[in-house]
Amino acid sequence: MRVSEIAMVTPKTVMECLMYLSNRGQDARLLAGGTDAIVQMKEKVGRPKIWINIGKLDELRFIREVGNEIHIGSLSTHTELANSKLIRSRASVLAEAAERVGATQIRNMGTIGGNIATASPAGDTLPALYVLDAELELQSFAKKRRIKIADFFLGPRRTLLQNDEIITKIIIKPMQENEIGIFEKLGPRRAQAISIVNVAIKLSMGSKARQCLAGKIAFGSVAPTIVRASKCEAMLTLGLLTDQHIEDIGKVAWREVSPISDIRASAIYRKDMAGALLIRGLYRLMKRWEDQ
Amino acid sequence: MKMKQRDKQKTYQWVGKRVQRKDGPEKVTGDLKYMTDYRYENMVWGRVLRAKHPYAKIKQIDTSRAEAYPGVICVLTYEDIPGFNGFGIVVPDQPVLCHDYVRCMSDAVALVAAETEEIAEEALQLIDVDYEVLTPVTDPEEAMKENAPMLHPSGNVHTHVQVQNGDIEKAFAEADIIVENTYISPRQMHAFIETEGGWGILEEDGSLTIRCPGQYAFRDRMQIARVLAWNPHRIHVVSNPIGGGFGGKDEITVQIYLALLALHTGGRPVKIHYKREESVIAGIKRHPFKVKMKTAAKKDGTLIANQVIAYGDTGAYASLGGAVISLAVEHSCGPYYIPNVDLNGYCVYTNNGVSGAFRGFGVNQVCFAMEQNIDIIAEKLGIDPIEIRKKNVYHQGGISSVGHRVTASVGTWETLDVAEKSDLWQRRHHYKNNPSEPWKKRGIGIASSFHGIGMGIGLPDYGAATIELLPGGRFLVGVCSEDIGQGNGTVFAIVAAEALQCHLDDIDVIQGDTKLTLDSGTVSASRSTYVGGNTILAAAPNMIQLLIHTAAEIFDIDPEFVEHRDGKLWKTIPVQGKEVLSYAEIYDYLYQHRRETKVEGHFMVPTAEKMIGKNVGMPHKVYGYQTHLVLVEVDMLTGETEVLQVLSIPDCGKVINLLGLEGQAEGGAVMGIGYTLYEDTVIENGLYKTTNFTNYILPTFKETPHIQTIPVESDEKSGPFGAKGIGEVVMIPIIPAIVQAIYDATGARIRHLPATPERVYQAMKEQGMI
Repeated sequence: MRVSEIAMVTPKTVMECLMYLSNRGQDARLLAGGTDAIVQMKEKVGRPKIWINIGKLDELRFIREVGNEIHIGSLSTHTELANSKLIRSRASVLAEAAERVGATQIRNMGTIGGNIATASPAGDTLPALYVLDAELELQSFAKKRRIKIADFFLGPRRTLLQNDEIITKIIIKPMQENEIGIFEKLGPRRAQAISIVNVAIKLSMGSKARQCLAGKIAFGSVAPTIVRASKCEAMLTLGLLTDQHIEDIGKVAWREVSPISDIRASAIYRKDMAGALLIRGLYRLMKRWEDQ
Repeated sequence: MKMKQRDKQKTYQWVGKRVQRKDGPEKVTGDLKYMTDYRYENMVWGRVLRAKHPYAKIKQIDTSRAEAYPGVICVLTYEDIPGFNGFGIVVPDQPVLCHDYVRCMSDAVALVAAETEEIAEEALQLIDVDYEVLTPVTDPEEAMKENAPMLHPSGNVHTHVQVQNGDIEKAFAEADIIVENTYISPRQMHAFIETEGGWGILEEDGSLTIRCPGQYAFRDRMQIARVLAWNPHRIHVVSNPIGGGFGGKDEITVQIYLALLALHTGGRPVKIHYKREESVIAGIKRHPFKVKMKTAAKKDGTLIANQVIAYGDTGAYASLGGAVISLAVEHSCGPYYIPNVDLNGYCVYTNNGVSGAFRGFGVNQVCFAMEQNIDIIAEKLGIDPIEIRKKNVYHQGGISSVGHRVTASVGTWETLDVAEKSDLWQRRHHYKNNPSEPWKKRGIGIASSFHGIGMGIGLPDYGAATIELLPGGRFLVGVCSEDIGQGNGTVFAIVAAEALQCHLDDIDVIQGDTKLTLDSGTVSASRSTYVGGNTILAAAPNMIQLLIHTAAEIFDIDPEFVEHRDGKLWKTIPVQGKEVLSYAEIYDYLYQHRRETKVEGHFMVPTAEKMIGKNVGMPHKVYGYQTHLVLVEVDMLTGETEVLQVLSIPDCGKVINLLGLEGQAEGGAVMGIGYTLYEDTVIENGLYKTTNFTNYILPTFKETPHIQTIPVESDEKSGPFGAKGIGEVVMIPIIPAIVQAIYDATGARIRHLPATPERVYQAMKEQGMI
């Protein structure tokens, strides 16, 4: 398929889009920000017969509080997430993650729905969504369904999303007063880089100094999908989060991950870095908690 | 210093000031159209079929399917080359289109011209090349073994450069300390913003126009002519403007492909413009080096011996590899005097792409090794790193380590002295003791280096400039040497404005055009300020003579009674008529009388007294010197290194454009940071693992530290207004300075660049620091 021969349709409403998909879903690919789809098209790995340009579906561009949930429209860009007052105050770990994606231009174009649907093990918003207990709303012409983010991914670039479906919104649980979170990323350079390892941490803090009541830790880029670090999570509440205890938790992290070697880093370095980033994240979180 | 006295004697109107680049506004606003930005109504697209294997025998090439494909205009192979099927600046051993073997993935096998870029690309897939795959040679030391497959009839060692002085064995026996290490450096990519590309047009009169960014239009024209078997005068090469060069456009890029295709498109303009992915594979790179260095000193820090074996991987073809190795050997002992040396450089063929010219030209790799060895010696002897360098530098009139007397200006000691007196060095303990987070550590590193200006002895090195008087009394200065980003056009304008006593805005500069300028030599070897400036200073007196003689004619007096002062021509004897003439009036008179308004100036680059051994190009007469002082912070958890501060201290002779110098110093520092911490084009088994800027990691603005530039102006008598060159050395000593700072911070020595987070982390782990 020549690039110049690929057709493009630009639906004006979600329903119009879903109608296209129900008829031509096999031949079509969704185009949101295009930061991944266009690269794939150039690499000849993703050349559909039709692009469905959903970039104009403004009804999927929102961030709002609904009851005890935050609803994020799937076409919200990384920049919008990073700048949103609601996300910054009630889901700061996601704002931090969105801020570390690519470069300004990429963040202005790339969408959270796209980051999820691309299903890269290195996707930066994904670990944050894991620790925020995100759920996804998937919609087809016939029906809507809601699934947990951890169930959505089957492997690298493979998801449960059907040909006739789109992700319409992402639902997260807002962080409570006693909750703090952080996103740590290690790339080959400080900006505009794909993660070698990334990690999102969310802790519920108790009344005592450095007392952790519960916590969630999710690693990216160290397994076929994002992985929750259940052993490390269990250790969070075993004692106060002193520097020594933080280091002890970090030492366990390598057991939680199963990375590969690629051009960015070796598997052994990634294993070590899972622990290093977890330690660094916890150090920084404790400093924030104590400074606040 | 001498320069200060000279400054007192003479104040300049333009020289040494902070002058905004003449091409600045159009480049920063994006107004300037680069050659590859253009499109024409009737244009066709050219594409190049690359080798499918890093080393293989070509059994057969069948282009019939591609030729029959709708939209294809022509498909060319080696059979369509009218002249000599090869190119290469020194030894033309690289086939334009391969006919018997492919020796690397960069090799071109066929060319296609088609109605659209897509059709051209599809047609490439339809060219059937039958290969017999051979096992590639991928390591220089393996390639040097007797049983290795011979990639060229002359063998796999393209050149062996050797310099021996004194008695190395005796010196090692007498030494108080000997340090021996092996250093490995990466395959850096030029990564210019404008990838290789351009236009070929067969003109109605049968001549050929090649519009293609390059670094030496006249040599490009010669190389094209050799392949076409054409008179070079029938080929017009336009090589300016350029979206960056850094040495990567010194060699032929696509000029010859454009010329061949243009002969088969019926006069329609043909465009080639590499995608980044193709540029990664096709473009030359910096030579990866392995340097084994054994350095000896006395207790007091006096360096007494240095033994160097450097292997440079030149890839499948020579390009400038021999010269790169020669320059590496010449500079391998740093700007110091070491009496006993045994220096060996091998330029070796492999199946790893092609290496060639790149800013620094072999010096980066050996400086990394030499400066590290000095630091280790200083530490073991308990000597301050600045003191040991100051102790060992040679001064003007002294002897270099390759054994020649350096008669040109030498400012190394002064650059070290500036570093020593800087706030960063004086308060280094304060800076080091305050890391931004508790698990980070800071360190400081210093290093010095030097770099020859021009081609060196035994190689033709000349320049020429034209100055034309224009309507309104303005001037057009023509120097072919292209502006590859360094700002030499503004330097040429400053030199001309100073010499002709006019406003900078009254100087236009034209560069990179074989019809409109004279052959001014290459844009390489840190030479264009030095050579271009001198050619303008050779042409300017001729222009002033023209102005004086014309004024005398108008005044109707003898020329000796005409004075050139304040940008005007004055009558010094009392006769009737005008007292003073402007340049505009001189122009009008010449124009009315249909007289020539253009003059020329020529300059031969002075050479050292005698060649070192049989090494063509060695030594140089003039060198630029440089010291870098850096502060880094290393994350002990991850191995990430951040460069926080850079002090760049060049000795470039008299500064022509202070703003331009700062631009070069800052750009050089960032390129050096990239080389040291991030950049490598990874080739495994002859195949590129690096594909584009997703995995070729360049420093961005976030990796750019605060950079301060303090020039040391050692007056170079042979230079224009006392100037030398600076284009390359500004990126060199920062490399070992960063590595030394990492050591200072962490205690871990890095001997393999780039010092990625993983390498630093591994080194800290292996050397027991974490």
